[in-house]
Amino acid sequence: MNYGGDRDSATICAVSTPAGFGGISVIRLSGANTLKIVRQVFKNLPPSPESHKAFLGQVLDPTSGLALDQVVVTYFAKDRSYTGDETIEISCHGNPLICDQIMKALVDSGASTAMPGEFTYRAFMNQKLDLVQAESVLSLIESRSHKSANLAYRQLMGGLSQKIESIENQMTWCLAHIEASIDFSTEGLETTSQNELIVKLSQSNAEIDEILKSYQKGRLVRDGIQIALLGQPNVGKSSLLNLLLDYDRSIVSNIAGTTRDVVSDETIFEGQRLIFLDTAGIRTHSHDEIESLGIKRSFEESKRADRIFYIFDLSLGLSEEDQKWLSTLDSNKVTLIGNKMDLISSVKLDETLKYIHSKAAARQLRVIFTSTVDKNSREELLKHVVSQLVSERSSDNEVLLANSRHYECLKQASALIQQAVDSLIEGTGAEFVSLELKSALMRLQDMLGKRFDDQVMDRVFKEFCVGK
Amino acid sequence: MKNADIIVVGAGHAGIEAAMASAGLGLSTLLITTNLDRIGYMSCNPSIGGLAKGHMVRELDILGGHMGFAADQTCIQYKRLNSSKGPAVRGTRVQNDKKLYNQHMTQLLNSQPNLKVVRGDVKALILRNQVCCGVETQDGSRLFSTSVIITAGTFLNGVMHVGLQQSPGGRVGDQASVGLSDQLKENGFVVRRLKTGTPPRLLKESIDWSKTTAQYGDESFFPFSLKSSRQFRLPQVACYLSRTNEQTHEIIRRNLDKSPMYCGIIEGTGPRYCPSIEDKISRFADRDSHQTFLEPEGLDSDLIYLQGISTSLPEEIQYEFLKTIPGLENVVMARPGYAVEYDFIEPTQIWHTLETRTIQNLFLAGQINGTSGYEEAASQGFIAGVNAAFKILNKNQFILGRDQAYMGVLIDDLVTKGTREPYRMFTSRAEHRLVLREDNALDRLSLVSESLDLLASDSLEIMQDLSARRTQQKEYLKQTKIFPTQVVQAELVARGLVEMSKSLTLEEFLRRTDVNPSLLSELGFAIDSDPLVSEAVEIDVKYMGYVKRQHELILQAKKFEDLLLPQNFDYKTVKGLSNEEIDKLSSVLPRTLGQAQRISGVNPSAIQAIMVFLKSSYSKEPHRARLSSPAGVPVQLAPRDLV
Repeated sequence: MNYGGDRDSATICAVSTPAGFGGISVIRLSGANTLKIVRQVFKNLPPSPESHKAFLGQVLDPTSGLALDQVVVTYFAKDRSYTGDETIEISCHGNPLICDQIMKALVDSGASTAMPGEFTYRAFMNQKLDLVQAESVLSLIESRSHKSANLAYRQLMGGLSQKIESIENQMTWCLAHIEASIDFSTEGLETTSQNELIVKLSQSNAEIDEILKSYQKGRLVRDGIQIALLGQPNVGKSSLLNLLLDYDRSIVSNIAGTTRDVVSDETIFEGQRLIFLDTAGIRTHSHDEIESLGIKRSFEESKRADRIFYIFDLSLGLSEEDQKWLSTLDSNKVTLIGNKMDLISSVKLDETLKYIHSKAAARQLRVIFTSTVDKNSREELLKHVVSQLVSERSSDNEVLLANSRHYECLKQASALIQQAVDSLIEGTGAEFVSLELKSALMRLQDMLGKRFDDQVMDRVFKEFCVGK
Repeated sequence: MKNADIIVVGAGHAGIEAAMASAGLGLSTLLITTNLDRIGYMSCNPSIGGLAKGHMVRELDILGGHMGFAADQTCIQYKRLNSSKGPAVRGTRVQNDKKLYNQHMTQLLNSQPNLKVVRGDVKALILRNQVCCGVETQDGSRLFSTSVIITAGTFLNGVMHVGLQQSPGGRVGDQASVGLSDQLKENGFVVRRLKTGTPPRLLKESIDWSKTTAQYGDESFFPFSLKSSRQFRLPQVACYLSRTNEQTHEIIRRNLDKSPMYCGIIEGTGPRYCPSIEDKISRFADRDSHQTFLEPEGLDSDLIYLQGISTSLPEEIQYEFLKTIPGLENVVMARPGYAVEYDFIEPTQIWHTLETRTIQNLFLAGQINGTSGYEEAASQGFIAGVNAAFKILNKNQFILGRDQAYMGVLIDDLVTKGTREPYRMFTSRAEHRLVLREDNALDRLSLVSESLDLLASDSLEIMQDLSARRTQQKEYLKQTKIFPTQVVQAELVARGLVEMSKSLTLEEFLRRTDVNPSLLSELGFAIDSDPLVSEAVEIDVKYMGYVKRQHELILQAKKFEDLLLPQNFDYKTVKGLSNEEIDKLSSVLPRTLGQAQRISGVNPSAIQAIMVFLKSSYSKEPHRARLSSPAGVPVQLAPRDLV
């Protein structure tokens, strides 16, 4: 990808709304020749249009003069637009064919088709957004839940960037004082004491640690919690899945082994996205080849899940095979679910429950009893998962780390600051502390995109879709 | 008819090095000074060296300069600075006998072949078609040469201030130089004004020494110069510490309106880190006392230099506040403190060779480029002298890199960033600080020195010998192993040290912080007894890991350091640059992307914009830089060997 370069002089255009039919589609143009190009296809713009004003009119094919559509053109002056360059958004009827025609007309008039993320790249280049904010635009667009969107929005508004910048300032202060202690040692000034520096740097590191800790949670909020459903055939996995997803979905039948393949689907609970991996039933002795493939896959899937629901039939109890499979799973991730509670006679229930509880306690597993005919089971189950992994205590203003690139930068910065603190304590020498702090600062600047690195640029902007 | 190949204007610290270098390289040199009695005169503090400054003096010495040896010969107090800190930030500072220094330098110049020193007051340059070919003096004489080096110090349109009284002059006892900077202004140079101050000089007998605290220098001497002996040549003296107090401050505060700095009479910018006592009182108002050192100006001098109390208050006020300082109750001033204002040429107008960009064969060195300090001046003088000579001899340009020497950092900073206040060298200015140490100046620059061929043969021998022994020692440490035998372990334990866990090369063993060369020697290994060899090698070994990391850091930060920028690059064609950035880049015309990065006001996004522009402009990978002179002739950099 070659962002920038002679592309910088190009006026780019792209359809910014999702492909398909709808009420409105928006085509965006940005660059030095925006007005000039648009005037060739749209005649209703005044000689000096006011920024942020909308104009109704027709888009005409530049060669034939035929009207392609009636549109609304919105004009954004340079420095007052998303990208920082002069920008126009053409709102046309939401038909992909019409969009194509208008795009062709614009390209024929001198525009270039935008590359993925190029509008946001320009916003970054024109210093309208720092890199973290630019990435949050992508996150916002791709959010699948309220919480995730909210998180991305806060990041776009600079929540994370501000925190990082304040840490950066603290560290720069320390660096300045260390340099002063080297270069002005003969002036008889009492430069900052060693201790004060250690305290300040440890503080910065503690703040970074807080942010790092939020990564687990942040990732889950942004990407969703993945839950694998495991269990013997016919324990009611599919109907439980239907319940959790809140609608009828998988094929449910009494024939053991009906749902063959791994199916994933998702739901949103209290703003949090949850993704379910439904799997084939587990049987130790399987002669059916397709099924054994499904079994293997389901175990692999379960490894990358954030939570495993191991389901068993309460009326049949926890079999030897169940216990065997349970022992192979990471008990930190497992919630044991005794299903079909409605099928047990109340006489047997107490006894069964006690027995299961003791078995579960032995493995330190949480056990929940459900019945797919009981709608409350859904709430109970999902609440349990969400509170475990993404505690409800989180306020809406909390800044969470959700991006692996950020995580790497901060982790490295943290290690370097720790080295600096250790050096200070050992009395190793101010010039080394300075070196370590400078390296740490560079990591923070990397995160915010303050230092040029074309590999980083590529990595970030390639993930965007065209039109963003 | 030429009077000389090279004319040097001004016989201060820059002028001396310039003239000696040029004459040493075989070119006929004429040094013109307004005062033959003040060759190498120390205008301010009678001392040479300091943190980072001392580094430059050592580098200069290795390359063939003269300040170091002169400083050693006239040293009356020696101090090793930051000795408790790491080797990269240790420094050397000496107090000197001013008169003897001046005598030493005078004799040096007078006995140098190819060099003639004359009295004269230069008022203008002789220019023909943007080429400088001589100078004209106040009495009307015209002297012709191939090149001219101006090292006029603080004399250009110099004005001295004591209280509200002004008088023209570069310093007390020396007239100002009038005409030169005006001519440069007329020729399109940007000329600005700086100021600097100096403390009062006190009469020795009028001081009550019992009220002060004696401060002695170090006993072991590590001289600047290769050829200096480690014995002090002159008797060593003490300096004396005293302090100001609230009374002192009160008097100064009351009279700030009589200080030309504060009335706005002086327009020049002063150095932030060398503040006058008026500055100190105002900016550090919460301090109730400032220290001051009473420094003798020479072994048989009557004068005491009052370090830390530079001032331009009226003489009566100076007396008033001086008397409040312990020891100075009955002091008599030989000369009051004063400020001097002078012109300087914005250094972005010269190349790395110190030749000006617009007038050929004109070189500028020293405070005229906006620096402060004798060491900064001497470094520039040397570089200007060598380059002026090399140009005539048709040799490659002499430019030191930022990773080779503080001298390189100095010139690059000046030429790239310019300066608004008197520029002084600090260790923090050098990103390669860990490599630019006093102990390894030899290793960094010995090859360069040999190729320059300016170093006297006795120094050369010493340098080559030390260099060879260090290399030998390093090899020995690499090749020799130490085994964890019973004997060795016992020795370690007996000294309270941790035992060895496995066999190591001596180099690996020396990396331990608790191991040093004398231990190795005691264990029976062949270690060179000269600390100039063993210590240097030790530091090298211990620093290796850090140096590598620093290098990586620099590589990361300066990924595009060497990327050549086209000579006449039109920055207006690059998208994404602000007007300010276009202006700065167009006026500095950086040679490399790395240099562009260092220009203040040029943001990382601008570097990105340029880089991407270049990438798309050149279909193949832009080749790594070799410097090219303005004429486009590729030039070989002085050989670099990162230690």
